[in-house]
Order: sequence, then structure tokens, then C-alpha cells
Amino acid sequence: MDNFEPKIVAFCCNWCSYAGADLAGTSRMQYPPAIRIIRVMCSGRVSPFLVLKALSVGADGVLVLGCHPGDCHYIEGNYKTMRRIPLLKKVLKQFGIEEERVRLEWVSASEGAKFAEVANSFTQSIKNLGPSTLDNLKQSSKGAKHG
Amino acid sequence: MEEPRIGVFVCHCGRNIGAYVDVPGVVEYVKGLPNVVHAERNLYTCSEEGISAIKKGIQEHNLNRVIVASCTPRTHEPLFRSACEAVGLNKYLFEFVNIRDQCSWVHMHEPEKATEKAKDLIRMGVAKARLLEPLEEIEIKVTPSALVIGGGVVGMGAALNLAAQGFEVHVVEKEPELGGTLRSVYKLYPTNEEATKVTNPLIEKVKNDPKIKTYLSAKVKEVSGFIGNFDVVVNQDGEESKFNVGTIIVAIGADKLKPTGQYGYGEMPNVLTQLELEERMKKGEPVGQNVVMINCVGARVPERTYCSRICCMTAIKNASLIKESNPKAKVWILHRDLMTYGVDFENYYRKAMELGVRFIRYSLERPPQVIGDGKAEEIKAYHELRREEIELPCDMLVLTTPLIPAEDNQDISKMLKVSLDEFGFFLEAHLKLRPVEFAMDGIYICGSAKWPTDVTEGISQAYAAASKAAGPLRMGYVKPEAINALVNEDKCSGCGICELLCPFQAIELQPRDGKRVSHVNEAVCKGCGTCGAACPSGAIAMHYFTDEQILAQVEALFS
Amino acid sequence: MAEKETTVITEAEKILDRENIIAKAEEVLDQGYDGIIGLRKRWGHVSPYLFTTKDELKELELEPRYNLATFVRQLKNKWPDARLGIVSRGCDERALDKLEELGVFSKEGVVFIGITCSMEQAEECNCEKPIYTPLDCTGCWKCMEECPKDAITRINVCPILVPDQFNLGLGQRKAIYLPFPQAVPKKNVRDPNHCLRITEKLECKGCENACEAKAIVHDMADQIVDLDVGAIIVATGLDFYDVSGLEEYGYGKIKNVVTAMEYERLTSASGPTLGSLDRPSDGKVPHNIAFIQCVGSRDFRCEPYCSSVCCMHATKEAMMAYEHEPGTKSTVFYMDMRAVGKRFQEYIARAKSDYNVTYIRSRPGRIEVNPENDNPIIWYEDTTTGEIKKFEAEIVVLAQAMIPQITKDLAEILGIELDENGFVKTPGGFLQPLDTTKPGIFACGYVHSPRDIPDSVTQASGAAGRAAEEIASLHSQGGK
Repeated sequence: MDNFEPKIVAFCCNWCSYAGADLAGTSRMQYPPAIRIIRVMCSGRVSPFLVLKALSVGADGVLVLGCHPGDCHYIEGNYKTMRRIPLLKKVLKQFGIEEERVRLEWVSASEGAKFAEVANSFTQSIKNLGPSTLDNLKQSSKGAKHG
Repeated sequence: MEEPRIGVFVCHCGRNIGAYVDVPGVVEYVKGLPNVVHAERNLYTCSEEGISAIKKGIQEHNLNRVIVASCTPRTHEPLFRSACEAVGLNKYLFEFVNIRDQCSWVHMHEPEKATEKAKDLIRMGVAKARLLEPLEEIEIKVTPSALVIGGGVVGMGAALNLAAQGFEVHVVEKEPELGGTLRSVYKLYPTNEEATKVTNPLIEKVKNDPKIKTYLSAKVKEVSGFIGNFDVVVNQDGEESKFNVGTIIVAIGADKLKPTGQYGYGEMPNVLTQLELEERMKKGEPVGQNVVMINCVGARVPERTYCSRICCMTAIKNASLIKESNPKAKVWILHRDLMTYGVDFENYYRKAMELGVRFIRYSLERPPQVIGDGKAEEIKAYHELRREEIELPCDMLVLTTPLIPAEDNQDISKMLKVSLDEFGFFLEAHLKLRPVEFAMDGIYICGSAKWPTDVTEGISQAYAAASKAAGPLRMGYVKPEAINALVNEDKCSGCGICELLCPFQAIELQPRDGKRVSHVNEAVCKGCGTCGAACPSGAIAMHYFTDEQILAQVEALFS
Repeated sequence: MAEKETTVITEAEKILDRENIIAKAEEVLDQGYDGIIGLRKRWGHVSPYLFTTKDELKELELEPRYNLATFVRQLKNKWPDARLGIVSRGCDERALDKLEELGVFSKEGVVFIGITCSMEQAEECNCEKPIYTPLDCTGCWKCMEECPKDAITRINVCPILVPDQFNLGLGQRKAIYLPFPQAVPKKNVRDPNHCLRITEKLECKGCENACEAKAIVHDMADQIVDLDVGAIIVATGLDFYDVSGLEEYGYGKIKNVVTAMEYERLTSASGPTLGSLDRPSDGKVPHNIAFIQCVGSRDFRCEPYCSSVCCMHATKEAMMAYEHEPGTKSTVFYMDMRAVGKRFQEYIARAKSDYNVTYIRSRPGRIEVNPENDNPIIWYEDTTTGEIKKFEAEIVVLAQAMIPQITKDLAEILGIELDENGFVKTPGGFLQPLDTTKPGIFACGYVHSPRDIPDSVTQASGAAGRAAEEIASLHSQGGK
């Protein structure tokens, strides 16, 4: 679809990928305006629940970006992410959601170019997939964590 | 919770944002968002003018949440937070929205889309801000004393430095005397001073220092607590001492490898390690006339790949000492690379050559052979640079062996909850940037316990560790950032997943009314969120990054 | 080989861009001005002219320089209500200012369309002094405008281009520039040696006009600051030995022989080639790299000591080359592989097994060049086989010796002694390794002894600890 403007949620960890995104900015590297970054302290903060919620309220794609393995500021957070997200992708398939709508990438604080490249390529791949077909399930975010 | 009164300050940043994002349009839009009672634009929010505008805005409009939409929190978050604090607003009621580095600067050719994105991002920020709560940073008092585990030259150096800075130090040494490995060493390179001449004055100083309490023939039995408040139990021949310290330094040194089974060690009486050679030289016992030394025995081999750093110099030192006392003696050093780095060591190597020490390069693929009946009589080796087999007469064979992790490392690692590296030495927080710290706050590492090191480097490390250890002691308190985890004990099912996951061991299951619930030690928790993401009951709230706050941002994006 | 002389190239061509100036003049006409004063060639020579139509502007001349002030004054006196544009240089503007001061001219209704003079022209001009105050700078970099070609190296409005010393002369920078991307504070600095205003060559207003924070002001000078301290730590680091004197390596003569530091800048994402290892002669990316160790180190002609870190950094550089361009083959010519730190031996092993790095024990005797393809050819003896061989690489990286960076002057001012190699003398023996010959002054890092990062960082904390100890003991003795 030519006029499909995806909206992509990107969870970025404060120490690496958020800084990498900043570096892309200071270097004036351009990428599509589809990305909306949400800052967390560590990619390990990103539970599958948050990713699913994002998809369920209408995100066309979700990026989870963390430090390279071995470089996590909190030592092991990204190892948890390394396990959670691939597992989640497998589960998504079973729900009939294309697993390509969720991507995990490692972006360090000095990899501005990589951030821009990931933003570009992910936006393109989401455009190819088309808009998310999930109904807009407006659940209250309070309480029902696993409803 | 009081009704949120949110103020939003949108920055032009000169042209950086203003030229691409329609800032006035964004301000108008923002004014229409629920709970936003004030919105304005500034040319440079980080300038004096901008900061005054924030303070004024808070006071005039009675704001209880502030958002600045400008560059990146990584530059000015502390500045804006302190502006809020200056007029009495809790700094955790401030939220930063990045509309420059992650918006205007990266969508320069699509100003309308950049404007829409800026509106989205601020809407998300407002949604989070509505749910922000004031947080208090706790001040944890620090006991102004330290524990040094290990009474060798490095441990003593650290202790003396801390004592000189005015702190009480407890030094725990497992041997009956202080001095560590240097008690066995003969002389020290590159000056060839006697080791005891170096350590004895140090030992005297430690014994006489009123601020240092020494426990000999003692081992640390138990350590509990956290930075600022470690409760230590020391076992000294059955007697227990208990005390409380603020920080801990680990300086327990390393063990020496005994190369049993290699090159006739253990079977032939004239095959020794370098340290055994030194003990003989110290006692004035005769050494051979034809001394062959083999370097890298048990090091830089598939079973133990690392280089022990200090052995080349040790071998060269002992070889030089033999030549100096007996110029007619023949000394050969068989090596696989000579690690005489730096200035002094290269000079020392050259001097050794001038003294007549012969250096022969051998390779791992063609190790030397020991020939002899009951004792070493001849060494056959393949001389790599002459490309021929050589035979060296030998009446003493000295094996240069690496330092290996001390056998106490495992116990201490468990006791202090600090990590070991893949070799078994202690693992520093960061190889380059935090070389004498552990990831665990308040505990520091120096000397060969971390990696084989000689005296000069070890003392530098001792000073470094003492310097780091003194920091919290001197401040008197530690104030961790309040973005930590909080357990809702009613929801906690006691499954223990969080306790297992925490990289800092900040979570402990504790009994509470008949069940067990997680308890987070605020002093240690760093707020990474790994536990919060994993809790199956949703019992853990990550302050400032709660699920509700994150989800509010996500939902606001699509509303 | 990159240009080593410090010639200054100006962007005079760009600024004297006729198109731009004519476009601006046309704009002024569009706004209803009565005319533009500039130079026009008529009857074989150039003279002042009042352009009133866009067609006429096609014949606008920018050379030679001709001070238009008199012409302007005369015109304005005859025609006081005129609204005029002037294609002017700084000297024109200054002249008109002076005339206004004298009361014989009014700038009302006059707009200037500026030209910046070239360096050669600037030599003949005089100007006031400008200086830059970093306090007001908000780091918005407005004074740098973005260039679509150089996403990282931004071109700014300053007309001066000089070799960039951070990139070892391999790239260029302006006279107002960000020293390097990680600079702290992340603000631009002025180059007092080449800035046209600071060197009083021209009243260039490029950066001043661009800065919306008005951070560029004119009355700041070097300050002498008196500091009363209890301890001093010397951490001035390292410099590089100039290996161009070692003729056998051909550095400076053979284009594709570079130093390790130049290699680092070439492969750095923020360097002059944005991370592409473009070899100097033809810009091709090499797939066959030779690293030569101990260039200037362990050498009685130069530095007899070992610089300690080069074995490891050469291995890293070889691995990086492979990561950038899979399949790259690297060969390291070494004497002893000094990999003594934690995980260093394993790193070398990985280089050999996974990154196509070969280590040859040898100290090459000579480097020649293959004239057909500019490839350096290394003559060496493989010490483990005894054969003399030739090795042709596409680029050679010399691990140059590193020397302590402290001048004799500074050492004298501090009152500390240096040893024969220029390192800070540390007479304190084993137990005071960081103390210099003067009590209260400590040293750490490379200026102390050849050290890598972990050891330097350790020494830094150690020196701080020693300094704290000194100060604490002074306190307890009742000192200040």
C-alpha cells in the first residue's frame, strides 16, 4: 500500500540503543518517521506483555533494541531479552500474527548508522507486511496484567 | 493522587527543532490535551531564560508535572530536573520528550511528518506524566571503615592508604604472618632488591598503625549486607570477631601452579619451579652450573591459554641473579615470546643478555625434552631461530609456571556475591573502565586475585582500589537513584523468579506472615527492570518505568 | 599520502559563487529596491554600475576589488530616498560605516549583499578582533550547516578549510569546528591560527551571523587562573614517534604505508572517510593488509623500550579490517607477541582462527613499492625458516612507537624530573610507584610508563588515592 504509514513502537534501552538513536540524530542520518521510541533503562525491562499490548492497541511493528550481548549496563538484562523475544515471536505465529512484526536488534551507543539502518529496513518490511490487522482492543492498562 | 496539572515546554532549539517542526502548532495542539494546564515554547529551554521560564511556569500555574520537549534526556535531564527541584517540585515529576535527536534531526525532509511525530511523542509523554509519582531517594549511611581481605603487599598497600585517609581498616590474613607471596620471593625485578626489604617496613607500618586492625591466621567466614553496611564475621582459630564496614577490598592474591608430571617435576630432584629456586637462593644454597629454564610451563597451552604476565621477568631475574653471583655458570632460558614490555623490563632483558643469559625460542609444537636417569642431565630442544636440535647440559632445570586462581576464590565469590571470570580469577566490573571494581557496589578487587600482577602494578591497583573504596566512606552516605523496583507483597506469590534473575542479588525472599515474599534492597537495586518484566504476578513495580506508565505511552500513541 | 603541509584552502570559489550573489541581488530587486550597486564590465574595463534589472545582473562582475564606497556615497547624496543593494566586501562596509560616522552618509535604505574575500585577498586587509565565548553556546551547532554528502563531517559557514589535526591531516575542518564527536563540552572551538578574524585578516562574520545564541563575542582573552591545590596529577598521555626518519619503511614516500593511528582514523566511523579504509593512493579498499610491529620501538636508533600496547592494537586493527571486509587477509610481522592482559592471549588465538590473521616472526628490512599498482612490497627474513622473502600487501600499517607527551618546559614548571626516554621519573620504588620526584605530584598513564587502557585507568584511580592520602595527611598535620 503506497499511502500506508506504519506506526512502529521501539523500546530502546537508555545506555545503548537510545544513545545510538541520539547519535543517528546528531549525525543527521535520516530515516522514516514511523518510529516512536519509548525509553526504558534496560531491554530486560521489556516483557512480552508490553510487546503484545503494543501490538494489540494498533502498533504495526515493535522493535526491541538493546546493548550487544556482553555489554549490558546491568550485566545480564539483554540476555533475558535474547531469550524472551525469540520465544515471543514463536508464540505470535500461533496467534496468527506475523512474527516479522517484532524484531530484536542490538544497537550500541556508537552505532548511529546501525540505528538508522534498522529503522529504515524495519519500516520497509512493515510497509511490505501491510497494516496490522488486530482490532483495536482498548483494554484498561491498570490491573489486568494477564487478562 | 492529586489531579495532574501538567506544564509542557516545547523547545525550538534555535532552528534545530524550529526549522522542521511547527513548534507553535505543536504548542496549540498540546494545550488541548487533557490535564495540560500550561504550554509554551522557548527558543532554547536550556538557556538561563528557558530555565527561568520553567520555574516561573511551575509557580504561576501551580504545575505538579513538567514536560520539556527538546533534545535528549542524556544531555539536559539533570538540568531540567534541578530547575523543578529549585521551586519545590519533586524531580521525578519531570518527563523529557525527545523531539530533536529522535525527530526533527532525522526527518529533516519531511517537516509535516516530523510535526505529527512530535505531537505523538508529546502526547505519549503527557500520558506518562499523568501517572508519575514523586519518589524519594533514600540516603544510606556508610560506616566509615573498610575490610581488606588479604595481608600481602597489595592488601597492605590498600589498607595503609585507607588508614592514611582517616578510615578504620580491618585486614584479614589467613597465614600466621603478613606478607603474602613475597615472603617466599628472593629478590624483586627490575631493581633486584630483596623482597623482604620491601615488605618488612610495610608490615611494621601496618602493625603500628592505630587505625588498622589485623587478624592473622584468620579467614572471613561470613559477609552479609550491602554497600555502606557490610556485616562481617571473621574466624580466627575458632574465635569469631564481628564488625561492620562500609566497603570491602579483595586482595587475596593467587596460587602458584605446581607442574606435577611435566618435565620430570616431582620425580627428578633437580627440577624446580622458579619460586623453589628463589627459596634456595635465599637460603644461600648452591644452584647449578648449567641451569636451564623452560618458560610457559602450564601456561599458553590449550589447557590454560592465558599468559601469566610476570613469569618471563621472574625467569630473567633469577637467571640474572645466578649469573651475577656466579659469572661462570651457564644459564639458558627457553621461551615462546618474551613478555618484557615497557621501559624497565626491556632494559632488564638487555642487561640479562649482557650478563650472558642465553635466550632460546622454542615452539609449542616442539617442546623441549628432559634426558636423564633419575635426575635431569640434558635438555634437548628445537631452537626455532637456528632451526636445529640443540642439546644443553643441565644440572638444574627450572620450570617457569603461571599464577593460578587462589583456591579460596570460589568461597569468597559466593560469600561476597561477586563473580569469577572464565579463568577463575575475580571478574572486574569492566575490563577497561572499572578495572578495580566489582559489579556489586562497595566491593573492590586488586592484585593477583584479579589477574597475575607484579609488585609495582599491584601497588598501583591497591591505591586504585583504596581510592574507590574511600569514596563512599568519605561521603558518609550513598544515594541511589530512586528508579528502583518495589514489590507489592500482597500480589507476590513467592515464586522466587525475581531473586534468581537479579544480576545484583538485590532481591531476597523473606518470610512474611507465614508465606515468603520478595524484598528488594533499595540500596542495591539499580532499576534495570529485569525482575519487573519477569514477575508472573505483576507484583513488581519499576519506579518511573511502571507497566502502567509505559502502557499509557503506548496507548496514547494510538488513541 | 595525505597532504602534510599546512596550506590553507579557502572556499572562495563557493563564496564568490556568482550564482548565489546574483540570486540574492535578484531577491533584493524583487523586494522593490531601486537598484543594486556592483561592478560591470563595459568598454573593456570594469567599473561601478547601478543594476536596475535582472537582465543587467547577468553581467555582474566580482573581480577585481574596487571599493564602492565613494560611488555609493555620491549616488546616495544625489538620490537620498534611494533604496539600494550593494554587492560589497567587508572593506566596503567598513568604509561606509566610517563615512556614516563622519556624518556624510546614511546607511538607511541600504542593504549589503556580501562577498568574502579569498585568503590571498585577505592578506592585504586589516580587521578587528573577534573571540568566542563558550559559556553562551548551547551546542545547537547552528553555526554548522549540514552537507548532504558528509552526514557526519558537517560543513559550516566558515570559509576556511585546514587539515584536521584530529584526523592526522587526512581530513579537513573549518576554523570553527567540533574537535571530535565525543568532545566534552560538545561545543565548537575556534582556531586562532587560521580564523580570518582572529588573525586580523578580514572581518569575516560567517560564524557570528549564523549563531542565534549570539555566543560569539569579541572581548575575551586568555586568562591566567591561580589555583591553590594540595596535589597535582600528571596525566598528559602519549604522542607518536615520527617514523618518517626510518627510511626503510618508506613512510612519507610510499603512499600506501600508513601509521597505526592513521589507520585508526581511516577506519573510524567518524573519521575522514567515515570508516571506509580507503587506501591513500587510489581510494581502493584493501583486502591484503600487512602490519609491522616495533617501528621505532625496541630500536636503539629511536626508542629502546617497548611501547607495550601495539601487539594488541595491531591484532584489533586486523580483526576490524576483517569485520569491515570479510575475507581480508592480515599479516602481522612481530618480534614478541606481548599479550599479557586478561583475555589477550585468547584474543590473538581468535584472530588467528576466525579473522584470517597470520603472524610472522620477523622484523622487515625494507619496504619498496610496486609501481604498477602502488602496492608496498616488504622484504623480510622469516626468522623461523631463515628465508629472505618478499611480501606484497595492498597497504602497510606501521605500529609506530609511542612516546610520553610532556614537554621539558612543563616538567620544569612542575619541578619534576623526566628519565632519558622522557617518561616521568618515579623514584618511589615498589611502594610508591606513582610518585614523581616532587612530593605532592603524581603521575599516571602513558606519561608514567607505556600502559594500556586498563592499567592507565587503574593508575588514574591509584594516583587519585595517593593524592587523597597526601592531602589527608596534610590536613591532619594542620596544614591547609
